Amino acid sequence: MQEIKDMVCPFCGCLCDDVTLEVENGKILSTDNCCTIGNAKFMGKNRLKNPIKKVDGAWVDITYDEAVNTAVDLLLDADRPLLYGWSGTHGEAQCVGIHMNEILGGVIDSTTSVCHGPSILAIQEVGHPGCTLGQVKNRADLIVYWGCNPIEAHPRHMSRYTTYADGYFLDNAFRNRKVIVVDVRETETAKVADEFIRIKQGGDYAVLSALRAIIRGKGDMIPETVAGVTKTQLMQVADMCKTCSFGALFFGVGLTMAKGKYKNVRNAIELVDELNRHTKFTLTPMRGHWNVYGANEVFSWMTGYPYAVDFCRGVAFYNPGETTAIDILARKECDACMIIGSDPAAHFPRQCVEHLRDTPVIVIDPFQSMTTSFADIQIPVAVTGIDAEGTAYRMDGIPIKVKKAIDSDYPSDTEILTRIYDRMLEVKGL
Amino acid sequence: MKTLLIKNAYVIDPIQKISGETMDIAVRDGKIVDDVKNPDQVIDATGMLTLPGGIDSHTHICGTKVNFGRYMSPEDMRAGRTSRKGDMHATSGYSVPTTYGNSYRYSRMGYTTLLEGAMAPMEARHTHEEFRYTPLQDCLANTLFDGNWFALEAIRDGDIKRLAGIIAWYLSAAKGFGVKLTNPGGTEAWGFGDDVTCINEPIPHFGITPRDIIVNMIEANEMLNLPHSVHLHCNNLGKPGNYMCTLDTYNAIPDLNDKRQSLYSTHVQFHSYGGSSWNDFCSKAEDIARSVNDKPQITIDTGQVMFGKTTTMTADGPMEFNLYRLYHNKWSNHDVELETGSGIIPVHYRKKNLVNAIMWSIGLELGLLVDSPWQCILATDNPNGAPFVKYPEVMALLMSKNYRDAEFETLHKSTGKRVILPSLDRELTWDEIVTMTRSAQARALGLIEYGKGHLSEGAEADIALYPINVDTTDPARDYERIINGFSTTEYTIKRGEVVCRNGTCTMESNHSTYWVNPHVPPAYDMGTDAAFIDGFNKYYSMRITNYPVGEEYIGRNVCMESEASL
Amino acid sequence: MMKVILEVKERHKPTLPIEAECITPKNFLDPERVFHVWKGNKELDITEVFHVRKDGNAKSADQVEIIIRGDSSNIKRVGEYMDGGRILIEGSIGMHCGNFMSAGTIEIKGDADSWLGREMHGGTILCHGNVEDYAGSGYRGEKKGMTGGRIEIMGNAGDFAAETMAGGEMIIHGNAGDMPGIDIKDGSLTIMGDCSRPCGNMSGGKCWIFGTAYDMLPTFRNEGQTSVDSVPVTRFSGDYISRGLGMVYTANHKYME
Repeated sequence: MQEIKDMVCPFCGCLCDDVTLEVENGKILSTDNCCTIGNAKFMGKNRLKNPIKKVDGAWVDITYDEAVNTAVDLLLDADRPLLYGWSGTHGEAQCVGIHMNEILGGVIDSTTSVCHGPSILAIQEVGHPGCTLGQVKNRADLIVYWGCNPIEAHPRHMSRYTTYADGYFLDNAFRNRKVIVVDVRETETAKVADEFIRIKQGGDYAVLSALRAIIRGKGDMIPETVAGVTKTQLMQVADMCKTCSFGALFFGVGLTMAKGKYKNVRNAIELVDELNRHTKFTLTPMRGHWNVYGANEVFSWMTGYPYAVDFCRGVAFYNPGETTAIDILARKECDACMIIGSDPAAHFPRQCVEHLRDTPVIVIDPFQSMTTSFADIQIPVAVTGIDAEGTAYRMDGIPIKVKKAIDSDYPSDTEILTRIYDRMLEVKGL
Repeated sequence: MKTLLIKNAYVIDPIQKISGETMDIAVRDGKIVDDVKNPDQVIDATGMLTLPGGIDSHTHICGTKVNFGRYMSPEDMRAGRTSRKGDMHATSGYSVPTTYGNSYRYSRMGYTTLLEGAMAPMEARHTHEEFRYTPLQDCLANTLFDGNWFALEAIRDGDIKRLAGIIAWYLSAAKGFGVKLTNPGGTEAWGFGDDVTCINEPIPHFGITPRDIIVNMIEANEMLNLPHSVHLHCNNLGKPGNYMCTLDTYNAIPDLNDKRQSLYSTHVQFHSYGGSSWNDFCSKAEDIARSVNDKPQITIDTGQVMFGKTTTMTADGPMEFNLYRLYHNKWSNHDVELETGSGIIPVHYRKKNLVNAIMWSIGLELGLLVDSPWQCILATDNPNGAPFVKYPEVMALLMSKNYRDAEFETLHKSTGKRVILPSLDRELTWDEIVTMTRSAQARALGLIEYGKGHLSEGAEADIALYPINVDTTDPARDYERIINGFSTTEYTIKRGEVVCRNGTCTMESNHSTYWVNPHVPPAYDMGTDAAFIDGFNKYYSMRITNYPVGEEYIGRNVCMESEASL
Repeated sequence: MMKVILEVKERHKPTLPIEAECITPKNFLDPERVFHVWKGNKELDITEVFHVRKDGNAKSADQVEIIIRGDSSNIKRVGEYMDGGRILIEGSIGMHCGNFMSAGTIEIKGDADSWLGREMHGGTILCHGNVEDYAGSGYRGEKKGMTGGRIEIMGNAGDFAAETMAGGEMIIHGNAGDMPGIDIKDGSLTIMGDCSRPCGNMSGGKCWIFGTAYDMLPTFRNEGQTSVDSVPVTRFSGDYISRGLGMVYTANHKYME
């Protein structure tokens, strides 16, 4: 039995890198320092044993060679292929995906478009006043969680980076920090807050505006309640923000997916900008998947745009709402799909899933998922962090090497995508 | 084993003191050799100005803050898109191009070596990932130390040897090349929203001064026998009256190295400002140049501003916030724990804006007033002053008074009252321009002995052939030809292979990463230092075992080893 | 006068959108010009997607009229960079119709998809039906949307109409959706029907709402009653999270309390 320390958990945007794994005979027996979700990821069973293909309504085992050739044929045949997912794969594989998309003349998009796409759109309008998580850990005496519930979605966030973490500049971190939670209902995180703001659905923009006006000294015209929040509470919160030494605002899909989407995030960013005239304040999106930010980074340095990149015209074109996977699928605007490291059938609206049903779909994933039901072929790969390794980017942009603990016969995402890409080049005579 | 013969090349190679001689250049296996028989390829370079490949000693092309600049600027991206062509991948971007965009555009200009201006060691992995996709230039990374807690503590404790050990550990871990200081002390103060305004003012918490940081870092750097000197972005960038701070800084710099400068002071245009506010803002390039002329231990690069839109991005977080307060443009900030900061904001330099016109003039004044081109490197702090594709225009301005005068006519009419540029008649010569675009860089970066910046036997076969006939070109009058000629090579050769022909890049990839690995005695090896490791694991949000960048990130590489004199 | 009639043919995989930025009056002045449209990554001759009929002559774009008939609901970028002449779309039209337009007229009998008249700076667009999101808006990351010209929508508009408007005028006869005029800097926006959360972060310009403005934002100051075209309205200055140099006039408004 072998104990491997400082391994990296490939589940959420926290990318905890202090995980201990107990390994024996090429299997992971147990984990330490993981949250329950991370543990479930490491202990996951029932991986697909080999590539499978749908032939006359039944699944047939095929070889990797056959799977690669089928994938190449399906994709090269398409007028507008869509390559979607990517946030569950490592960066080196994402790079191959970009090259592949360039050859194919298709659209490449990641799960950003259903999660923090709005955050990026807002950043593209007003910028991102951010920092790395260690800055928060060492300096922040005020934490704001807006529209997110880390206790359930990012379980170790508070102990590693915020409320309960030891900080260089804070003597008694837990006691010297204040936590404000803003949400439409009282979540588990709200229960541990010093100040809980309960907002009516769709009221985030109005509340953010009210806070901004108060901080600018123009709060006189604000009504007695805004979206269910009293003016008194708004003034109290504005004061807490202005008088802290270092405030850190974290936000999640509660803000990005509320009505107005990216305009909500823009308002939050402009609030933080305003606060920087009074004190130090930063903002960080609570990225969900362990490498969704990595997909944004890779897409940006390779194509210029962070997600939703359309290469049909030979140059990169970017327009969320038009070149995003959900919109393309809903409007039936693609004629072949490759889904990697994601399960759109489980998350996308029905209209999108119907089109998946009617379109050739290649799935690259270690496990069977709901999307498997709509696939023409599925190719299993190694799991990054377990039997494959590669680079990932944490929710604050820090790049971390996700190491592997065991070896297996499965190809990594990079290996299989490279095989598909090389075969495409061969077929096209490039 | 590829061989190449370039015939009839008109060579200017200041390092070899060759000033316009026609000769043949022979290449074998990526290096320049005396002679080749039956070469695989022959290039007739008749009429072509042939130079060592260009070296950019300060450019922002790869890493976290550059990529921030990319994804927050879709409007910049759509302004410069090209499709895939042969071996060339599609590119996007005007002032913050994609990595392929940067590489192809630099290659077309004959540049074969690039030094990334600022890399936070915690994010080094990202820089190296992007280096991989900058395939036609050798890349090196300046590693940020201005706010490094362990370094600041060692300086506070007066332990220079420990400081050297810390620098050594970080440089090896990050696969970095040089010691970079950006607004030393200021980036740490910015951790709580403050800045520093004077090099003699103690910084919050650590109690040392920016001057302490600069001087101690220089001493430690020299103890490590590193190829490059400390590379400094002075405090107070961009503020009216900051020239005093620059002069004070220069007066503190010791002369500790006889092969090169002890301090590389970067984008000095931004640090040469007189006046006390924007209202009486003026040039103090004369004072700065005088100081540089007097101090062989300092080499500068000009940081020229050119008119048009661009994106500013530096590790100087507080400075970028001040730009936000001035211009209300979209502003990004990214402080890196225990290390440094950064900020990004788009700007638009306008001819009819008096301050911008003065800035443009200052950059040129520095180029003309510093006597030796070996001490005055041509750069725009890409993209802060202007995108690097404007270098040929800068060259033309320095070589032609007529061109300068013609441009000056189009500026804000009060510019002449604040600058002395119109009174400067100097026109830089071919030799001087060649020196400040490659030879001086090679010397400043300690790369001459690594075969860069010159075409001697044994040197790297990084060669640029420009469609410029020196005999029939008068740079003082033919400035259009200078601009066009230096914009696109006939051939750019990297490691002995043609990588760019008339603007079209012809190879997938041909490059190396250069990094340093200074060896220190065990007592100063931070890798086994309990206090360092404990502090690291306690205060960073990443484990020390996961911090160093593995060899798999650097592909073909040149490791520059050195023995520390501790 | 030249009249060009483009009739949409049946095609294979009809749900894949067509990009047809070549369809703009000035392009038809050159008899030798080759017209290509794009279906995904496939470049097609225009005749593979449309029956093309051209009658008459023209010396300038103003003398050219283009009529598009058939199911053009997913034909994109028609009229992009238009600088004169007329386009009449008898049915509905796809995204980005009239992008960057500087002069001329586009008339749509049916509905228009998103980004109608994006970044336009002159000319007129009239849509008889409804429009989707982002009518008259800007592009991602740019600071300005439409800067001139006029967009008139007889039906309803989706969300973010006149986003970052910096000049020109837009009139919506039906309802607008959520956040019309958000980030508006200049120009005028008129909504005859209802909308929600108008003009957030307004720094200039004017907006009139003759229906009900739901979820009126709390950072506008009520400057009192006045009347516009004999309709009593409340005048608001705002948005005070920004410089507050804009005006919003509402016949009715409700806050989210």
